[in-house]
Amino acid sequence: MPARPLNRICYVEDDEDIQRIVRMSLERVGKMTVSVVSDPTQAIAVINEFRPDLVMLDWMMPVMDGPTLFRQMKLRPETSALPVVFITAKASQRDLDELKSLGAAGTISKPFSPKDLPEQLRAIWAALPEAA
Amino acid sequence: MNHTTTANGSHTGLEVSTDAVETEIRDRADPSQVLADRVAQLYRQMPIAIAATFIAGAIATFELQGRWLKELVLIWWALVVTFSAAASLLLYAYYRTADKVGTAPQWLRWLGIAALGNGASWGLAGGVFFRSLSDEQQVFLAFLFAGMASVGIPVYAASWPIFALYAAGILLPFFYVLLTFGNRLFVEIALLVPLFYAINVAIAYRLTQVFHSGYRLRHAYGRLTQDHRSLNQRLERQLVELHEARRQVEASGRKLALFAERAPIAVLELQPDGTVAEVNQAAELLFGYAANELVGGSVKKLVLPKFHEEFDRLWRQLLNSRESMAGVKVRNPRRDGIEIICEWTVTPLVNIQREVIAVIAQGRDVTAQLEAERMKKEFTSTLSHELRTPLTSIIGSLQLINSGVMGEVDNEIGELTMVAERNGQRLLDLINDILDIEKIESGKLNLAPEVMPVDELVREAMVLNKAFGERFKVRFQSHGDAPERKVHADRKRLLQVMTNLLSNAAKFSPEGAVVDITTEDAGGAVRVAVHDRGSGIPEAFRTRIFGRFTQADSTATRQKGGTGLGLAICKRLVELMHGRIGFDDRPGGGTTFWFELPRHAA
Repeated sequence: MPARPLNRICYVEDDEDIQRIVRMSLERVGKMTVSVVSDPTQAIAVINEFRPDLVMLDWMMPVMDGPTLFRQMKLRPETSALPVVFITAKASQRDLDELKSLGAAGTISKPFSPKDLPEQLRAIWAALPEAA
Repeated sequence: MNHTTTANGSHTGLEVSTDAVETEIRDRADPSQVLADRVAQLYRQMPIAIAATFIAGAIATFELQGRWLKELVLIWWALVVTFSAAASLLLYAYYRTADKVGTAPQWLRWLGIAALGNGASWGLAGGVFFRSLSDEQQVFLAFLFAGMASVGIPVYAASWPIFALYAAGILLPFFYVLLTFGNRLFVEIALLVPLFYAINVAIAYRLTQVFHSGYRLRHAYGRLTQDHRSLNQRLERQLVELHEARRQVEASGRKLALFAERAPIAVLELQPDGTVAEVNQAAELLFGYAANELVGGSVKKLVLPKFHEEFDRLWRQLLNSRESMAGVKVRNPRRDGIEIICEWTVTPLVNIQREVIAVIAQGRDVTAQLEAERMKKEFTSTLSHELRTPLTSIIGSLQLINSGVMGEVDNEIGELTMVAERNGQRLLDLINDILDIEKIESGKLNLAPEVMPVDELVREAMVLNKAFGERFKVRFQSHGDAPERKVHADRKRLLQVMTNLLSNAAKFSPEGAVVDITTEDAGGAVRVAVHDRGSGIPEAFRTRIFGRFTQADSTATRQKGGTGLGLAICKRLVELMHGRIGFDDRPGGGTTFWFELPRHAA
């Protein structure tokens, strides 16, 4: 478990409605600071500026999907160590297993409950090794 | 060397066998039948003997009576007449006999006696009268004796011993008289008598042999004819049966040919080397080739070149195993170049020596079917994503409002947002259930089984469904803890089953009721049971409770939620995990739903 509590979240998502719900859930229920990115190609720049504790990626996005972005993050030293959680509506168990093996911290399936989302993220955060 | 011996041997063998056949044929004659035939022949000649004796006797009597002892000659004549009469009686008796075969030896004996008597009567004449006769009369008598002796040959030819007796009867006294006459010429004549006798007997013997052989052949032939007739009848019967069998084979052959010809699937008859021997109309239509464009060529014409190697491998496997293959999907090029996918059933035809003599290939175009399956899969996947994404927003928004984190809302508005959230959730459940059923039924559900204690599973399910129970004011209580009971099952899917059973129990129990959960051993299985205090399962609903979209009371769906797919999914999931599911009425009201899974040996 990392020493500090989970606070700063960067969320990459193309659907504005879901962006809004996640932002409200994390801010209102979870009392966290949230930065939402609509364009995955801008994500790394935002992350470098915002410096989140954890990154949440939508799986299916136009232009660039979550797994591709994730692999790019892994290639960059400034983002390679960040814990990444996927939010997905359709991934098969095999896809999830593959992501886990690539180093994803966890997955949350759509539809998620905004009431429980902060709790789910904190549980994933708590399971991370201290070094993070 | 060896070859020569064999050839010689077989040649000799043939000769021997011809002899053997003759012997065998003769031996077929029944000896008693042959004897009876000879006796009949002898009796048939008797009238000639009687007539000859009578006529010659009459002439002799007439010629001799004037000269010497008239009474003695008349007595002799009376003797001859008596003999002739006796012979006639014998003949008559013979012809009256019914069983001429069985009594043949007896008739032969009587005939022998009669013949001896006949001959002896002439001999008596010679012995008594000869000496006192004139020269001319002596010549007459000698001539008469010679004649009578020769008459005996045809008459008694069928039995040389009888002839021998008869001729001896005539000639022996005459021989004695001639020998003792005291005349050199007569002695010389006398010495000729045994010679003639011997010659005559030899002729009679030869004739008897001929008769005997003839009769044997005749009977053998009769037997053969009879055998031949019954053989013929048997052959005719077999021919009729063969004809009928052939007719049936032809009929079923025509039927089969018709089946193949008119079948909606392509049927190809292939030779073991892969040459096309025959194709049906459906095959012509399917591939766009006329039959004569395919027949005689290799079937590989219907396989894409890049799959030829794989085809060869499968073909070898088919010829080696001699067992039919089903569901073989092959990319087949049509004549117009369009590629189709066919599913083939390939059956080798094997003869009695276990050699493959032909291969029957039946193919069905599954291109459209595969395309439909692909589209269905794509549709399912799209449905899964495209429906869930908006639902995530709808349910998420409502949950945020209803949880109160956005601040208090008006009571009535709150009620409406609760209704909206609940029904959004129901829609989501329905989508999930439909996708589950679809996945299970198309065999695409992959289970991830692990070994887990049943108690742990029950506790987890109770925690997960606690809120649901609270909503219906029902409490879950577990009994019969035993941590050593383990099952090998997919945790997520088993929790899905438990959630279905617990939520059903909560929905259908009265407020304030306790839903009991028990775990127990059931033979080699572990049984988990959920006991509710509901109103029980209506009789009419019992048989289809595990079917799709079934609920006992459609108003219950509206009031309590649920998709009507829950138990259908539970049943399929439990069965996929090699278990079974069921329900029993509970004494005192309510129902027990249970499932059993094979117990994992620790």
